Amino acid sequence: MKLAQALIAKSIAETVLVASLAVVLYLNAFPPSLHGWGEVQPHGISGWAVNHSDPWQRLEVQLFIDGKFVSNATANQSRPDVMAAGWARDEWHGYNFKDLSLDPGIHLARIYALHSSRREAHQTLQILGDPIWFTVDEAGVLHSWSEITLRKIR
Amino acid sequence: MKPEAIRVDEDGGRALAAWEIVSVLISCLIAEWVVLAFVGNSKLVGSIPVALALALMSFSHLERGESFRDLGFRFDNFLAAARLLILPTVIAGALILLLTWLMRGQQFHFADFRLRLLTVPLWALFQQYALQGFINRRAQLAVGRGLKSVLLVALVFSIVHLPNPLLAGLTLIGGVIWAAVYQRSPNLFALALSHAAVSLLLALSLPADLVYNLRVGLKYFG
Repeated sequence: MKLAQALIAKSIAETVLVASLAVVLYLNAFPPSLHGWGEVQPHGISGWAVNHSDPWQRLEVQLFIDGKFVSNATANQSRPDVMAAGWARDEWHGYNFKDLSLDPGIHLARIYALHSSRREAHQTLQILGDPIWFTVDEAGVLHSWSEITLRKIR
Repeated sequence: MKPEAIRVDEDGGRALAAWEIVSVLISCLIAEWVVLAFVGNSKLVGSIPVALALALMSFSHLERGESFRDLGFRFDNFLAAARLLILPTVIAGALILLLTWLMRGQQFHFADFRLRLLTVPLWALFQQYALQGFINRRAQLAVGRGLKSVLLVALVFSIVHLPNPLLAGLTLIGGVIWAAVYQRSPNLFALALSHAAVSLLLALSLPADLVYNLRVGLKYFG
């Protein structure tokens, strides 16, 4: 009976160990302290990105459109509105992707923050904000679309 | 010399023994696969599942009243066990050398001896203790003495050497021989010598890319 209890205790200890390792790994790879947002502008996509656990860090962000990498940038441009809203301690957390050269039609953009962990042995991409639906007209101007509108169209 | 019988309990005892085997196997797999995947080569975290397995094994020995002598830490049957092991060990060594000779264009070439290899006999003794002194004895409790328990021990030994195909295959064969010898003449020192001799020959003679530096678990992939 004592042996069965020891086996149960060992199983519980191992379950706790594996679960703890999984949570620690996840938090290291995808820290919940990364925040940001992106929005469509007539000639590009702009937004902001902050790391609340390192407020002075200028995050590197990557733009993917329709699932493909397009460009990367450092979020170090002035966004006083982000600081005023309490999201950042200083205003230098903005980014702006211009001259995207996209075909006319409907597109989906995603902005990711690049994060390094385990002494840069691992690099992960974490999405910032929501995916951004938009259209490009014949003149190459971008227009924002809400997902609801897109569903109605389809 | 007549081997000492291991007492076989009722069905509950068999299930408990099987559970002990699975529990120790899972600890090995956690150390080899999960810890490495999650925290890299952290010896501290890696030692946790090993310590848990050793704690369970020690407690189990105490609960079942097994002495060091019962487990095979003894010298009275060393020669009997060595006699059983000498032929398969020599054959295994000869096959490894032949394979090396063929693979290296009919030439012998041995890798430089590294100090690390001095620990191989101790590591072999530890592995044989876990494999025979614990797994084999519990396998005999679970499925009885003989072919079934011998195959079970070999299978466990092979699983912990996955995904290295060469090592998994060799340990399956070695596991059968060592487990069968242990059931006839339980002596861990003789088994460790045989194990160390084969391991050293493998490490020193076969091309590194074939045995992949004897890596197992997630480490096998790099």
